[in-house]
Amino acid sequence: MSGARVGDGVRVAGTLVLALPKGRVMEESLSALRSAGLRLEPRGAGRALRYDAGDAVVIEMRNADVPTYVELGVADAGVVGKDVLLEAGSRLAEPVDLGLAACRLSLIRPRGASTMIERVATKYPRLTAAYLGRIGSGAEVVKLTGNVELACLTGLADAVVDVVQTGGTLRDNDLEEVDVIAHSTARFVVNRASLKLRSDRLRPLIEALRRHPGAR
Amino acid sequence: MSQAALPDGTRFVLPDTAARRDELRDLLRDLYHAWGFDQVEVPSLERYDPGHPRAAQSFKLADRDSGVLALRTDFTPALAQLVRAAHPAVAGGARRPVRYQYAGTVWHAIDPELARTREFTQVGIELIGVSNARADAELIHLARESVRVVGLEPRVEVGNPGFVRAAFDAAGVPGPLRDLAADAIDRKDRSDLSGVLAPAGLATASVDALLAIPDLYGGTEVLAHARAAVPWPAALYEIDRLEGVLREFEDDSELMLDLSMARRLSYYTGVTFRAYTPDFGQPLLGGGRYDGALLPAAAGFSLGLERLMRAVARRRSVSETEPLVLAFDDAGARRLRAAGVRVVRALDAEIEAVRREARDLGIPFVLADGALEAIDPGADVERLAELRTVLSGGGGA
Repeated sequence: MSGARVGDGVRVAGTLVLALPKGRVMEESLSALRSAGLRLEPRGAGRALRYDAGDAVVIEMRNADVPTYVELGVADAGVVGKDVLLEAGSRLAEPVDLGLAACRLSLIRPRGASTMIERVATKYPRLTAAYLGRIGSGAEVVKLTGNVELACLTGLADAVVDVVQTGGTLRDNDLEEVDVIAHSTARFVVNRASLKLRSDRLRPLIEALRRHPGAR
Repeated sequence: MSQAALPDGTRFVLPDTAARRDELRDLLRDLYHAWGFDQVEVPSLERYDPGHPRAAQSFKLADRDSGVLALRTDFTPALAQLVRAAHPAVAGGARRPVRYQYAGTVWHAIDPELARTREFTQVGIELIGVSNARADAELIHLARESVRVVGLEPRVEVGNPGFVRAAFDAAGVPGPLRDLAADAIDRKDRSDLSGVLAPAGLATASVDALLAIPDLYGGTEVLAHARAAVPWPAALYEIDRLEGVLREFEDDSELMLDLSMARRLSYYTGVTFRAYTPDFGQPLLGGGRYDGALLPAAAGFSLGLERLMRAVARRRSVSETEPLVLAFDDAGARRLRAAGVRVVRALDAEIEAVRREARDLGIPFVLADGALEAIDPGADVERLAELRTVLSGGGGA
């Protein structure tokens, strides 16, 4: 096919494009992908957001954007947390649970709080609204983007829904986990068309990733 | 008049895009026509039905008599109604093929995120009244041809949700878990699937068989893998059924199998399929067999014309469809139009102004005072001579 079109930005025929989230998960994902047999060079000194790493082109982005890039087929595959996938309501193929970045998505309140919840602050408004609906609460949901725990401490909200990894932040701020809404780990996600059309490259990769320690 | 913004998820269509969209639409209509599918039209207003699978996504309107109407979200329910009215015997179960094609606007009241519009054009076909492997194969053939006819390389994936349903029955997956399990299978998510199945307390062998399903996609070798991994008789029957459809193809190189396709398990009863093209990350077309859902025997597919346009490389409409002549002279314009030439009426009277008008509109020839001239010295002289012949009454263009 010739000619430009929306979404063509990073496509070169035959090249695998991977969308990876910035930060620690990116490093861990790269090492999982390498041990699965992909030759991926480090990016070097620059700050390129998109670089040819050898066996694949890597594009780097905020984790919440990964489902969009993969769903619209700009990237063939990517790595992203299950929490993000649930919030996005995504229908991507999720063939490998990498077991990385394990965390819980929980309802958190100041220690000992027992009043009815009236307002919940969260980075996950969709999941939170669905959860509140399930437990029959009529609390309102406020969307925040940073330090959600702060909402509880300052009285902006009387509960928050956020990820809990070790629980350290909660203890330090006298907060407690009241209910676990979902468990999350990093998933290897694949565009549904790519899974079929580039199965020669993706299937062996999926098989190998499943053998990575901690993955299933 | 207020300068209000367009409603979310709607857009204008400019001439170039409109022309290309019509071109694709015509190619598809001619293709389906050549295979014997007759064109029908159905109302875009329907009675609102809370039981419709897309009820939550429909735009609702209050009717005068306090009834509730909805803008159609797809064509299938209205077409089924049309068949019930026009072919009561077929709707009652008589075996007789009815082939229809349709095209028109549909509306989805969704969050217009992920580049989805809320108003778009759907084109599709339905083959009603016969349920067998040849009928399924005919639709898959046409799905493949639909992609080919617009100049793209087709890939069609074929699945059979009946296989997943049979496996659920045989393994004894409890009803309340089925939607979640089907969803996990459809996302190829074995980790989620084992979590969903855990509380059901199924036999280990059954769980192992179910956990094999997400990986049952690929070429025809998948059928053998499926027979080995999911050996329940009812599941084998569904695999045979799929193989029967594939046997109808002399060349199955553009077909792919996916036995983990498991969306809308309660609606689709036989094969389902989606068409793709390499290097375009979204399906172009989707459909399947839904016997018993609306009619005793029915199958079909639909495609979104706007998405298809994005997949097709940008190509200009053929040059003949561009307006060729700007005419002040109405009698001459009539003669040219009768010969199939696109002629635009000049709105200026003075010859220099008419030439300027032509230049502004990008129209190469001007007809004024009985004379046809090119406004650009580098114009196509053969084309000019041809048009002059038409004007003097010497035959068609």
